[in-house]
Amino acid sequence: MTTSRRDFLKTAGVAAGALSISTLPDWVSKVVAAEEAAANGVDKDALADVALSTARKLGVTYADIRINRYRIESISTREQQVQNVSRSQNFGFGVRVLYKGTWGFASSRDVTPENVRRITQQAVGIARANSVYQRKRISLVPVEKVVTSWKNAFQKDPFEVSIDDKIQFLLALNQSAMKTQGVSFVSSSMGFVNEQKFYASTDGSRIEQYIVRANPSFTVTAVNRSTGDFQTRSSLNGPQGMGYEYIEKHDWKREAQQAGEEAVMKLKAKPVEPGKYDLVLHPSHLWLTIHESVGHPTELDRALWMEANYAGTSFITPEKTGKLQFGSKLVNFIADRTQPAGLATVGYDDEGVPGQRWHLIKDGVFIDWQTTRDLAAMTGQKKSYGCNHADSWGSISFPRMPNVSLQPASSNTSLDDLIAGVEKGILIYGDGSYSIDQQRYNFQFGGQVFWEIKNGKRGEMLRDVAYQSRTTDFWNSLDALGGEATYELGGSFGDGKGEPGQSNAVSHGCPPARFRQTNVLNTGRTS
Amino acid sequence: MLLTEKDARTICDKLLNYVKADDASVGVTSENYGHLRFAANAYTTSGARENVSVGVTVWIDKKRGAASTNEIDDESLKATVALAEQLARISPVDREYMPTLPQQTYKPVNGYAEATSNISVTSRAKTINDVITACEKAKVVGAGFHQARGTASASATRNGNFFYERSSLVSLSTTARTPDGTSSGYFLRNHFDVAKLDTARVAHEAIRKALDARNPRVLEAGDYPAILEPQAVADLLSFFAFTFDARNAEEGRSPFSAPGGKTKLGQKIFDERIKVYSDPWHPDLPASRAAQGGLPAQKIHLVRNGVLENLVYSRFWAKQKGKEPTPGPVNNILESSQPPVALEDMIKSMDRGLLLGRFWYIRGVDPRVALQTGLTRDGIWYVEKGKIQYPVKNFRFNQSLIELLAPGNVDMIGKPERVGSSEGQGGNASLLPALKVKKFHFSSQSEAV
Repeated sequence: MTTSRRDFLKTAGVAAGALSISTLPDWVSKVVAAEEAAANGVDKDALADVALSTARKLGVTYADIRINRYRIESISTREQQVQNVSRSQNFGFGVRVLYKGTWGFASSRDVTPENVRRITQQAVGIARANSVYQRKRISLVPVEKVVTSWKNAFQKDPFEVSIDDKIQFLLALNQSAMKTQGVSFVSSSMGFVNEQKFYASTDGSRIEQYIVRANPSFTVTAVNRSTGDFQTRSSLNGPQGMGYEYIEKHDWKREAQQAGEEAVMKLKAKPVEPGKYDLVLHPSHLWLTIHESVGHPTELDRALWMEANYAGTSFITPEKTGKLQFGSKLVNFIADRTQPAGLATVGYDDEGVPGQRWHLIKDGVFIDWQTTRDLAAMTGQKKSYGCNHADSWGSISFPRMPNVSLQPASSNTSLDDLIAGVEKGILIYGDGSYSIDQQRYNFQFGGQVFWEIKNGKRGEMLRDVAYQSRTTDFWNSLDALGGEATYELGGSFGDGKGEPGQSNAVSHGCPPARFRQTNVLNTGRTS
Repeated sequence: MLLTEKDARTICDKLLNYVKADDASVGVTSENYGHLRFAANAYTTSGARENVSVGVTVWIDKKRGAASTNEIDDESLKATVALAEQLARISPVDREYMPTLPQQTYKPVNGYAEATSNISVTSRAKTINDVITACEKAKVVGAGFHQARGTASASATRNGNFFYERSSLVSLSTTARTPDGTSSGYFLRNHFDVAKLDTARVAHEAIRKALDARNPRVLEAGDYPAILEPQAVADLLSFFAFTFDARNAEEGRSPFSAPGGKTKLGQKIFDERIKVYSDPWHPDLPASRAAQGGLPAQKIHLVRNGVLENLVYSRFWAKQKGKEPTPGPVNNILESSQPPVALEDMIKSMDRGLLLGRFWYIRGVDPRVALQTGLTRDGIWYVEKGKIQYPVKNFRFNQSLIELLAPGNVDMIGKPERVGSSEGQGGNASLLPALKVKKFHFSSQSEAV
């Protein structure tokens, strides 16, 4: 099966609602033509046959090949200047083999049958060299064979929206941010990623996927030159697994103006008095705390010390499954690779396992892990939850985080309701400085905007706020959640893990939540 | 196979021939990369990657566009140039445009070893077997990462500049943990030449630290005198030389900004023994021969005798301010103007304090004073009356880097070692010494191991 970009767009229905190929500007057609010229020489199924048959002949127990194209667009501006407009694309393949219970992987940008054969031999050669000294043989849980294609649910392909529109959008946003007297600088950017992925394995699966993600952001800076002080306020809305409709649906200009006003206010805001406070954390802030303190410690590879040399291990150990009171009874976390607009949403992971949805923490108790086929086999599980991912054709796939989200209350609780229940507290918007230890116990988070809460009402703005806590103390102190109407999706375009380091895009949804008696520092005093 | 100078020049020439724009800068980089990971005393993932990437930046009527690809057939190269030119046509004027450079003269740098670029997978497998065997003998659980990379890159401009260079890097890091998970040790080193990477030392030090860190005691958080081993210094300061940007300082958003729209240039803001500089020809830390925009790199001093001697001017900002653009930094070296003090002598001289081996998850908190937060990891020891007394449980710190190196806080400075940051996985290298400081601020305890 040979699939050109044009064919794939047609079969996946990507062009619906956007420009058709025949009406695209000339330069787009040139690039598409160049991509097609490359793709036309590539019969992915035939290449997969070469890789998989070569690997089989060399005695592997499993092999897969991924042939992927990645397109990235990036536009960045400051004030009324465009700093960068760039597009990049890369194409290549990687072959992963399991030989005598030992992984081997090799990859190349040169996508020809001869090179696929050579690279497959190289992958087996690496696995064979290491297998001589292997102590613990790796095995995989089975997965059902599937032949299919999938695309994520976006409406408007950002690669088919004019660059000029995007530039004008960012410059208008900057103008809004600069409206407030006292704003000194603003920088803004838009990034878009398109992944066109092909996967084939010795299990018989052949899967094509087409994924688009959007990453808009901005930062406003206010400088007081007489005191040498400066403060920033970054956008509260993060990246999402959507197309250009995500840029159009949100009122970014209004938010940029508000950000300008708040950056200037921060210069004169009251420094926080260190101590214990009740915290009301907005979803634009809480997603990052979830990512670090819930997403990472529930990765099974960390618990099995597979990441001990870099990211670290986990305070949750396998024998705590079903026993650990991770949080209060209101705390329910769901891992979900099927969530609409989720950055880690996929049809299938990078070893042919379908996207799934499952509880990690139910009624406050830790009950399950994020798994891949080899991790599931190591721990006696019968199936994988499909968390295998590689960030490039040139990277070996390994366990990565699915979307992990805190479920809202079944009531209609609003943000104001949460604030009303606080005598002395702080309301935090936006993600700021973040740091957590290698077992995901001790953490410290800042934010973008901090408001004092006094006697159930929002008070004046505070500055220099960060809170420190221990993961289980923090989540057990949660005593109220917003309802479904308050639920928002945050996320990261570049969660780093592994050696060599790989990047993963992942979303975390949540309502605002209230935490009692958390330790707050004044970072301006380096306390 | 890395691109030869001839092959790289051919690709650059092709790209420039396709360019119709007023000005252009093109580049090509080829890479051989290989890695081997191990964990729980067993081999986990291992792989290789071959890639070539091409980048094109053009200016039409001072409007800028950029595109890149890894497909190097003629049609793809043409399409990439066409894309960059189209992006330039629809972009507003780049107010920071600087014409690309004409031919420059570069002094060669030797930071490439063929044996690193084409690493032997069988000898690498044996090296890691030796590390795991050492862990097994010591009854600890080993995990680690070996990587080797060779790159060949070339850059050319429409105004006639061209340069080509090769570099390589190999690193090994190892974490050893006691089977009960109560103690952990870590060590990392890298070099451009695989023959000069002491892998046995990496394994030995990680294991020694894990064994020496058993049965840690709890100490209260607070301010302590501290000795930072070179790894800990690298974790904090691996990009230090790259933070001296003049524009940020003059725009009032840097720790080197001063009230009234001024900068701290010329002020003694660091201990008077401290020297921070960049030197592309340092034999232990060879770096690129080309600095920003293709300027031939030169040795530059940023801090000397504790005085902020230079800020780094980009070509654009230098023109705005009537200065010369800074030909660097291209690497990061911190050393003392006085004879270095050995780590053992630092310990002997310590009345009471902590010995720190590594920091982790370091993030900026307040850029005004370069305040960083992070944690200690993989071994921390209490020192009293000149001797290591016992291991201690980990801490979170909140520490300003400016205050760390300020006059009055630095007690002793060791001999610089080639070391990379652990969060950077050894993929970068600096020459940094051990430091003994009078005060380091720990804000809370951390029970993580």
